[in-house]
Amino acid sequence: MAAVIQDTGRELRRIVRINEEIKSVVARAFKINLMAMNAIFLAKRAGQSALGFGVLSNELRRFAMDLQKQMTQLRETTYGSVATVTALVKQMRLSRVLERARKESSGKGRAIIDDFLRSRHSLTHARQREQIAALNRRLSQMIADTTQLVELGSVLARSAKIEAAYGGPFSVALMQVSSDFEHTIGEIQHSLENLSKQRDN
Amino acid sequence: MKTARVIYEEGGHRWLALVRDPNRPDYLIDTNEYLVIDNDDAILLDPGGNEIFPAVFSALSTEFDPRKINKLFASHQDPDIISSLSLWLEFNPQIKCHISWLWSSFVPHFGGGRDTFISLPDSGGDIMVGGQRLRAIPAHYLHSSGNFHLYDPKAKILFSGDVGAALLPPGEDGLFVEDFDRHIRHAEAFHRRWMGSEKAKRDWCSRVSQLDIEMLCPQHGAIYKGANVKRFIDWFAQLEIGIVKG
Repeated sequence: MAAVIQDTGRELRRIVRINEEIKSVVARAFKINLMAMNAIFLAKRAGQSALGFGVLSNELRRFAMDLQKQMTQLRETTYGSVATVTALVKQMRLSRVLERARKESSGKGRAIIDDFLRSRHSLTHARQREQIAALNRRLSQMIADTTQLVELGSVLARSAKIEAAYGGPFSVALMQVSSDFEHTIGEIQHSLENLSKQRDN
Repeated sequence: MKTARVIYEEGGHRWLALVRDPNRPDYLIDTNEYLVIDNDDAILLDPGGNEIFPAVFSALSTEFDPRKINKLFASHQDPDIISSLSLWLEFNPQIKCHISWLWSSFVPHFGGGRDTFISLPDSGGDIMVGGQRLRAIPAHYLHSSGNFHLYDPKAKILFSGDVGAALLPPGEDGLFVEDFDRHIRHAEAFHRRWMGSEKAKRDWCSRVSQLDIEMLCPQHGAIYKGANVKRFIDWFAQLEIGIVKG
């Protein structure tokens, strides 16, 4: 019983950590969106020589918006997890009080609680395992999808860096912007690695 | 665990007092719970808090099948009154809780759903237990703003919630008040502080004076019996209340 309570407590703390990582990814996605808008204006000013860079900046902006949507879904999933785990914590607390009632009872009262606890324990534990496993499966799938999306963002940022080299007089400025893209996407990848670790813990 | 004491019995009509748990942690206020049984039907009055559920359940089950309890009466909304609701619902999800309309959307935070609560209007009402009609007597502002007591005309018992409560020191924990003057010292500070409305107090004293009461059963402390019932009502009527220090 104590182990189960500890597990649910750990599960709640894990969800809190996942939420914190999600917040940081959302903030970075927002930053990429702004950076991409600036990059689009810069590419327009650079003219013909930065056409490719402009296309890539547009793609990076779309990437940032997709990432924000993805993180919104991930956050909704973790909110759902909080509700599930909170319900489990409540069930565990009830079980603990009922266990005390069993110890204090005798005769018919004890027999009633014994019957009740037997059916309740098997149901509660099986349901708990099933619910947490389902949550973890969904979370894993979403993190895998997001990792793929961010991999695409990383390729776009590297391509932007190559295109920046052809930016003529704007080359230095474009190079700086594409380095910022690369750096920010690197941070997102780091957050996703943390998310994967949280999922596995 | 608590002890189940039969305080009234006539035919299939019984009152059990669930009292005095020697293992109760001293950081929890002591409470009395009462079970009114009429043949196979029963209502549990102020079922108590989560923490004392094991003691109440185990004491109660020595005298009555707890699965047959299908009604609860909550004099008001405090945690020591009704926070065990979710546990009772585990045993009988169909259980109904009679409580002031004022609290019927607050107490579900302890458990229960739309169908769990039967709201009592401010004027009170009747609750049938088996073939016996019990009466919810208004006791608003004593101390809670939506507060009821429960009167059983057959047993002539008034369950009086926090009115009549006494915080008894160790060693003075008899079930019935024996020495009124000695006992009432343990009730005085409680009533001065917790009972906030002079008008509500006067109304209540006038209302219950018209009832034929053999026992006045509070949620804390000892039970007033016989002449001590009137003595208590008179004492309460003249007590200055709603003050921080007395």
